[in-house]
Amino acid sequence: MVENRPLAAILTHVVLIAGIVFLCFPVWVALVASTHPGEALQRSPIPMWFGDQGFANYSQLLREGVPAAGGVPLSTMMLNSLFMALGITVGKIAISLISAFAIVYFRFPFRMLFFWLIFATLMLPVEVRILPTYDVVASLGMLNSYPGLIIPLIASATATFLFRQFFMTIPDELVEAARIDRAGPLRFFWDILLPLSRTNIAALFIILFIYGWNQYLWPFLITTDQDLYTVVMGIQRMVNVGEGVPIWNYTMGTAILAMIPPVLVVLVMQRLFVKGLVESEK
Amino acid sequence: MANLKLDRVGKTYAGGVSAVENASFEIADGEFIVLVGPSGCGKSTMLRMIAGLEEITDGDVQIGDRSVNGVEPGDRNIAMVFQNYALYPHMTVRGNMAYGLRNQGMPKPEVEARIAEAARFLQLEPYLDRKPSALSGGQRQRVAMGRAIVREPSVFLFDEPLSNLDAKLRTQLRAELKDLHKRLGATFIYVTHDQIEAMSLADRIVIMSAGRIEQIGTPMELYANPASTFVAEFIGAPPMNVLPVTGEAARAFLAQEARVPDDLGHVGIRPELMSIGDNGIPATITLVEPLGAETLVHLKMGADKLIMRSGHGLALDAGAEIKVAVEAGALRFFDRDGRTRSA
Repeated sequence: MVENRPLAAILTHVVLIAGIVFLCFPVWVALVASTHPGEALQRSPIPMWFGDQGFANYSQLLREGVPAAGGVPLSTMMLNSLFMALGITVGKIAISLISAFAIVYFRFPFRMLFFWLIFATLMLPVEVRILPTYDVVASLGMLNSYPGLIIPLIASATATFLFRQFFMTIPDELVEAARIDRAGPLRFFWDILLPLSRTNIAALFIILFIYGWNQYLWPFLITTDQDLYTVVMGIQRMVNVGEGVPIWNYTMGTAILAMIPPVLVVLVMQRLFVKGLVESEK
Repeated sequence: MANLKLDRVGKTYAGGVSAVENASFEIADGEFIVLVGPSGCGKSTMLRMIAGLEEITDGDVQIGDRSVNGVEPGDRNIAMVFQNYALYPHMTVRGNMAYGLRNQGMPKPEVEARIAEAARFLQLEPYLDRKPSALSGGQRQRVAMGRAIVREPSVFLFDEPLSNLDAKLRTQLRAELKDLHKRLGATFIYVTHDQIEAMSLADRIVIMSAGRIEQIGTPMELYANPASTFVAEFIGAPPMNVLPVTGEAARAFLAQEARVPDDLGHVGIRPELMSIGDNGIPATITLVEPLGAETLVHLKMGADKLIMRSGHGLALDAGAEIKVAVEAGALRFFDRDGRTRSA
């Protein structure tokens, strides 16, 4: 339905702009707050325009951290978050690609049983299996380590299922043409399946990176070493500084910094994602 | 280059469904064989068994005197062209053609040389760096043929390669295929459900029905002397008129014939072997289809319906009463099971 009525155009724009303002206002407040000294945010009304402390606040955060909240530099936490998010994302994509490949293209005993077992784990998110998982990780000596942060979150039934569905849409003739062209299973996977899955991989990368970046409960449980803290935990620690004055300027600054990588991933991958959508044709 | 031999080949699926039964024939080196039949007759299964994409459950397939039953498709020295082209969508035309050669470990200069030659041959040179999605259907099918040619296989397999193209392009590519066969001199096995394709392309036709081979022969052999009513009705457009002996038409035809075999079930006559005469069998015209070069005349003789093909320029009207003359030796005789009986 394409209509051209000025009144309707105005109305739709009003609704859209209202929605954007509603969504962006908290981000704006956070951004402004991070440029003021801490006391400015204790008074009412809170400032709506940038202050002069922006540079000082951010350099304090990134270089030394906030002493009241443990004094871990945010750059360390950002790097930790990045390691964890990338590890989870790459691991999840790699494992689910391989398992979907096995399930779709190979006939082995109990194939469907394995598929349903993987599928059943959809019902068991981290929060449900957190105690046994913690126990396993602890007894493997992986507490306070990157592998401990990443590996328990690395399998994904959703992604496996998605790749399975995608592989099943690939015409049999393409597989047969590859067999006639002397491509063994691994060649077929590398040369044909992987390039064709590019779009799906890009889409999953966005979703999984944000999932990994936003992990809170798991890193909170298994890290006691401050050098392994992630940004999301950093925000939480700043909010709970105890009896001290709330350090809203730093908290908001951390929140803004924590937002940047996911936004970048969305921006960069989205272009690839759309390009893949336009180009791909089976 | 190789000859090919199928020895009592059969395919039974896990559920006990039999797709091909007891199929035996030999293909000489450089022959153009067309497997033809209605859908579900097992012709594609047969081709796929030769290719190695389908497991052979009975019998033996030999390519160049070597049994290939357990051999992988890539090692059978064959190339296949699929109905839906099956090009790798993410590779360029060049990449599509090079892929199989690269997998064989062929040195790059030779790969390039072969692609250049095939591209020249198929007039694909301007498209070598395009992706398949930027090509038309006919061009895609040419690329698929190019991918087969560069491998220089001993046997080319075609699985209904022209079915996805429009009629004009089909005629054009059909001629190109025939030319290709002549220039390469390789063995071609071609599957189609289109009897015109089969007639125009084949050195020999293998006609199949319900998983069995009905008849093997040159196109004209099949046309002139079909082994069964199935072949008679499958080959030719319009097909042979096959009339039950109990009907009025068959009795009228047989009355004119000197030697008639006994135990007949059906009598067959090709539409072009009848003509309008001054005396002959009386018939009523029910429909006239002028096709330009020829005219198809639908007739009624008693309760039997048949089609006659006559030359152009005839002014005929539906409802007219005519006399039908039959050429000598035009009748074909079939027993009650539909097999041919000779007079």
